[in-house]
Amino acid sequence: MGQIVYDVHYQTSLGFLISYYFYLTGLSAGSFMISTLSYGFGMEKYKPASKMGVVTAVLLLMLAPQFLLMQVAWPVKSLWHNFVYLNPLSAISYGAFLLVLYPLNSIIYGIFMFKDNKKWTKFFGLLGIPLALAVHGYTGWILALGIARDYWNTALMPIVFLFSAMVSGISMMILMIMIRDRFFTKEKKINREIIDGLAKILGWLLVVDLFLVFCDYSILLYSGQEGQEVAHFMLFGKMAFGFVVMENLIGKIIPLIIVMVPKLRNSYFLLVLAAVMNMIGILAMRIVTVYGGQALPLM
Amino acid sequence: MSNSHETAKSGDKHRPRWGMVIDLDKCIGCHTCEITCKEQNDVPLGIWRSWVKEIEKGRYPNVVRSFRPTLCNHCEDPVCVKVCPVHASFQREDGIVMVDPHLCVGCRYCMSACPYEVRYLHPQKGILDKCDFCHFRVDEGLKPACVEACPTSARIFGDLHDADSEVAQLVARKPVQTLKPEMGTEPRVYYIGLDQATMEIKREVELVWDK
Repeated sequence: MGQIVYDVHYQTSLGFLISYYFYLTGLSAGSFMISTLSYGFGMEKYKPASKMGVVTAVLLLMLAPQFLLMQVAWPVKSLWHNFVYLNPLSAISYGAFLLVLYPLNSIIYGIFMFKDNKKWTKFFGLLGIPLALAVHGYTGWILALGIARDYWNTALMPIVFLFSAMVSGISMMILMIMIRDRFFTKEKKINREIIDGLAKILGWLLVVDLFLVFCDYSILLYSGQEGQEVAHFMLFGKMAFGFVVMENLIGKIIPLIIVMVPKLRNSYFLLVLAAVMNMIGILAMRIVTVYGGQALPLM
Repeated sequence: MSNSHETAKSGDKHRPRWGMVIDLDKCIGCHTCEITCKEQNDVPLGIWRSWVKEIEKGRYPNVVRSFRPTLCNHCEDPVCVKVCPVHASFQREDGIVMVDPHLCVGCRYCMSACPYEVRYLHPQKGILDKCDFCHFRVDEGLKPACVEACPTSARIFGDLHDADSEVAQLVARKPVQTLKPEMGTEPRVYYIGLDQATMEIKREVELVWDK
């Protein structure tokens, strides 16, 4: 009971640019994972996706830090301060190294792949997996270590980020493979087997992703005052459209139904729809998590 | 107090730890501290280093106003210092938490990690800025501007390590509380008679797409 008579204006610290940055690194990590399926783990069926996966991973990881630099007020200074004045307690410090090492490793891996050198491709592919996990997982750490926000400060955050990265990456690969096969090959015929396999992986990753969201929210609703407030804000408040409809219904549940029911999965149209919806949903997830997570006033 | 900084530098045993006690029984909500701070530190428009949050409780005619002067808590275990990737946020020997303008790159991570929302991005300089207890005044043996200006002496500043100082005495003898102790940051700005409602009653959420 009561109202505010006087309070000052507050700034938003992490904006949409950070959401886009997280989204692009997620897509990159996801597509890198797909590219290692054949060379790293010997799943020959996914070989046609490998070269595309690594090229996409490198290109996206070159684009992603640009958003980060746009967010930072002193972009040029940040390029070297991050290495020279490194603080080992900060998650961002590690990001600076990962954002250099991961694209470098991906480029080397890609070069060996295009040269058809199986042994070294496998080596750099397997080396790249922990890097890809780290380059996207650390973004979850950035948020999780921002202890002020109850929505971020959870041990699930890096894992949630990894799974959302993989689902969005796979959706993007499904779309890209379909477009390439349909329009840029001689046969103009889509490789049914690979699309079907990726769709099944997507389905199971979506199940895990939804389970993690369920864990997160069920615990948030039972936690302290601020945790409950932010859960209500996401589920029923101003962020409900973004979180419930865009992220979970459009982004995860409908695509899950499409890829899990064989009849629906067989339709290329529905599969494209599922992949597009999932990619939109994961973008919504980044915005909901970064922007929505800090929208509630703290004091 | 006048030469305590020098003695600290010369390796003397006594090292000060600056802190503040805000006696809300004395606070009249005049916002003088807020204005003085802006003037002293050249704080740009739309941004505050220290301000007075004011709330109204109850229903007419039984209403009461509560004030909460807010500033950086100069925590013993500051989150902003831990998360800063370039060591720009740092804690001085005497406990003052500051931002090094030459190191800061303006990534705003500390801003999102601070549980007290006392940091802001300086619109002209592009670096993070916050209350620094007017460190240049403290180094000269003066009190911070807000303390000096408070007409009712509700803000009391001093050395918490000196058992005879007024702040140490108040912290030892009075029931004091800090903001959000559950964050584990150990704030060194203490409040006497803090109204819980000044923290619970929050401003409306305003999203980008609401405007």
